[in-house]
Amino acid sequence: MKAVLQIQDLSISFGNNHVLKSLTFDVMPKEVLGVIGPNGAGKTVMLNILTGTLQPTKGKIFFQGENITHKSITERCRMGVGRTFQVPRPFEKMTVFENVIVAGVYGGGLVEKEAQKRARGIIDKIGLSPKINWFAGKLGLLDRKRLEIGRALAINPKILLLDEVAGGLTESEVVEILGVVQAVKKQGVSVVWIEHVLKTMREGTDRVLCLAEGRNIVCGLPEEVMSSKEVLDTYLGVDER
Amino acid sequence: MPEYAIIQSILNGILLGGLYAIVGIGMSMVFGIMGLTNLAHGDMIILSTFLCIFFVTQLIPNIFLALIITILIMMALGFLIQNFLVNRVLDKGGEPALLVTFGVSIFIQNVLLMIFGADAQVVHTQLAAINIITTKFFSVSALYLFNFIVALLVIGVLHCIVYYTYFGRSIRATSDNVVAAELMGVSTKRIYSYTMCLAMVSAAIAGLLIGMTFISYPSTGTQYLIIAFGVVVIGGMGSLIGTLLGGIILGLAQLLGAYFFGAGYQALTGYIVLLIILTVRPQGLLGTAIRK
Amino acid sequence: MGSINWRLTLKISSLAVLLAIFCAVPLWNKEYITMVFMLIFLYMSLGHMWNLLAGYAGLVSLGQQIFIGIGGYSLAVITELYQLPWAVGLAIGGLLAVIFAMVISQPIFKMRGVYFTIGTWIVAEALGVFFSNWSYVRYARGFNITVSYRMSTTEVYYLALAVGVASMALVYVLLRSKLGLALMAMRDNESAAETMGIELYKTKLKCFLIAAFVTGITGGVLYLYIAFISPSAAFGIDWTVAMVFMVIIGGIGTIEGPIIGAVFFVLIKQFLYDYPGISLIILGVLAIVIILVAPKGIVGTLNDRYGWELLSPRRRG
Ligand SMILES: Nc1ncnc2c1ncn2[C@@H]1O[C@H](COP(=O)(O)OP(=O)(O)OP(=O)(O)O)[C@@H](O)[C@H]1O
Ligand SMILES: [Mg+2]
Repeated sequence: MKAVLQIQDLSISFGNNHVLKSLTFDVMPKEVLGVIGPNGAGKTVMLNILTGTLQPTKGKIFFQGENITHKSITERCRMGVGRTFQVPRPFEKMTVFENVIVAGVYGGGLVEKEAQKRARGIIDKIGLSPKINWFAGKLGLLDRKRLEIGRALAINPKILLLDEVAGGLTESEVVEILGVVQAVKKQGVSVVWIEHVLKTMREGTDRVLCLAEGRNIVCGLPEEVMSSKEVLDTYLGVDER
Repeated sequence: MPEYAIIQSILNGILLGGLYAIVGIGMSMVFGIMGLTNLAHGDMIILSTFLCIFFVTQLIPNIFLALIITILIMMALGFLIQNFLVNRVLDKGGEPALLVTFGVSIFIQNVLLMIFGADAQVVHTQLAAINIITTKFFSVSALYLFNFIVALLVIGVLHCIVYYTYFGRSIRATSDNVVAAELMGVSTKRIYSYTMCLAMVSAAIAGLLIGMTFISYPSTGTQYLIIAFGVVVIGGMGSLIGTLLGGIILGLAQLLGAYFFGAGYQALTGYIVLLIILTVRPQGLLGTAIRK
Repeated sequence: MGSINWRLTLKISSLAVLLAIFCAVPLWNKEYITMVFMLIFLYMSLGHMWNLLAGYAGLVSLGQQIFIGIGGYSLAVITELYQLPWAVGLAIGGLLAVIFAMVISQPIFKMRGVYFTIGTWIVAEALGVFFSNWSYVRYARGFNITVSYRMSTTEVYYLALAVGVASMALVYVLLRSKLGLALMAMRDNESAAETMGIELYKTKLKCFLIAAFVTGITGGVLYLYIAFISPSAAFGIDWTVAMVFMVIIGGIGTIEGPIIGAVFFVLIKQFLYDYPGISLIILGVLAIVIILVAPKGIVGTLNDRYGWELLSPRRRG
């Protein structure tokens, strides 16, 4: 099977801070790839490069076989790269409904009627139906994170990039998010899921990649990676939250 | 001697640059240290001009004393505006603070208009009539030279303050990293207020020099705001030496424009040079190269 | 469904009544009142456009007087130098405003944030100086726009009404359209909007051009009333001062803000007509106080507190 996303030799530096060093990995169709790594490992930076917010110093990104390294943020979005922000960035003075419509209209290329229909379905799926007409600025953290996922889904992504959507949530809330990700996967969407909560990663992913100091130090089945020497070394002294 | 007129233009442009440097230096500091574009800076300069004129003509016929009083008033005013208006909106993003200073600018302009009327004002000085040096090729106006020397002095003193005093260290710490400065026990808001005071000292001096050199109206502030902004953009934010260079480049642009196209185009060439610089190098001509 | 229809009918009929009232204002036969209403409509149009830029597209321009000047001078030149009808002058004014906006958009959009703000202002100042040195427009002497002597206040009033209503309708339709979604999203968070597929540059450019066109036409109508144009006034910052104060007082980033702001602005200005400085001092203080204590302006604050929305661009789910 051909990879959906291929990251080849990706590097980025900010001055003397070499954040990513020659990062290489693939994401397969219908796969949930977990990405773990300590604080400041460069996970969010990696996501920002994939979406086009940051330009890599070196390396290439292929999406469905096409080189997208120099495509703009909006182009990548329309090609089907959806993302969430680690710190949610809702459109605060718009309602939940409108937040999702925007993504459907612009990222999904739908006319507004269609986007409204899709938005209703998505909002139902992420469990925000009761608050559909709320201003997004009034939502709590869990709902904001749900909305992040909702907007990313509305562009009808072929790959979904999640940045710590479960961080800071309670056990039962995490279970809900896990359910959403599984449902997304069933529809044939690949997922790259950055998370600190190793337990979630173990349950919710097909493969896990561990990023440390900008390098792909180990990648494989969740169980193997979690018990590998490299990960234990990296996380030694860091308790499993 | 029209063939030599260009020498005169260049000389005057450089000397005028000194004056422009003082016009811009306060704005540059405020921008460099707190990231604020003070749209009222030009009006504060003209306010100083009018205050000086008022004191000299109505109270004390000593221009030096008049300047001292003006400086004190402007410092107080700067402190009040910073402390009670600008500081309160500074952490809400750039726009509110910008618009507050815009409001202050319109306020000052109209108060001046109300009190002094729309007539032209000028500080009379003997310097205006004297030429220090007169040669076949050019002459050096005592007033322009005076402006330039004062500019060098002001820049020198500010340099010493910023680099050799405790206050200066706090300022630099604040402009480098607000959080770190706060952790070291520096109250950044307080520093901002003092910075504005310092900027107002330079505005007061600029006001007097402007009043001696040109005629001023309550509405002239806009012109000096743009000059100040130009100096800041060309010279790099918060750089003292850059400010002087920025002033000189702008002064030269204006006077050479006047030389080549006629006096009516003096301001226009200044604006166009500035716009070109803004387009080609939006981060400023000398940019961060000079900034330490 | 029934209740929505009922609400819609109520809305449309009250708008129709309002419009009828406005159309009837000149019948009152009080020229002063007609003139005040005329100014309110014209300033409202200016406010709407500045709000579109600063409140939605994130373009805080202090150079909108560029387009007033272009609109006014087009009117003056077309009617005075070429003796053509004023309608041609207005149309050409709008057209030239868009063209000029297009020409400067390339360089001016390279400037971000405060650089854009002051950059636009510098362009306006430069134009003012340029016109003062341009023989074609009679240097700084300017023009007496003699067509306006032959027009009654009522005639200009209806033009102003048309401009005001059109700008209002334009903003409303715009915000309900696809572009409006993008604008509201950008207003709230530009980077998130971009990741949702919204092209910031294109959207901003559209707003800049629309605002230039409407401001240009409005400028033309304003000078049809003022009847004398000179570079320093036409390209003066005072126009944008009015826009800024109106929008801040009314409520930036809201549809109704510029309406309330225009009413406030024109009434205060007319009330203190004999003391022009004082009205600006009061408005300046008011604007500063509003930024400090109620940054969302009158409408935004009411909106937050009572959920009051007159003309909502909302989509309901
Ligand atoms: N725009 C930027 N400019 C300069 N340095 C940056 C920038 N963005 C990130 N960095 C640096 O890159 C490094 C990695 O940051 P990143 O946010 O990717 O970490 P992370 O793995 O997402 O950590 P966390 O788990 O805390 O979210 C950090 O040292 C950060 O300071
Ligand atoms: Mg991160």
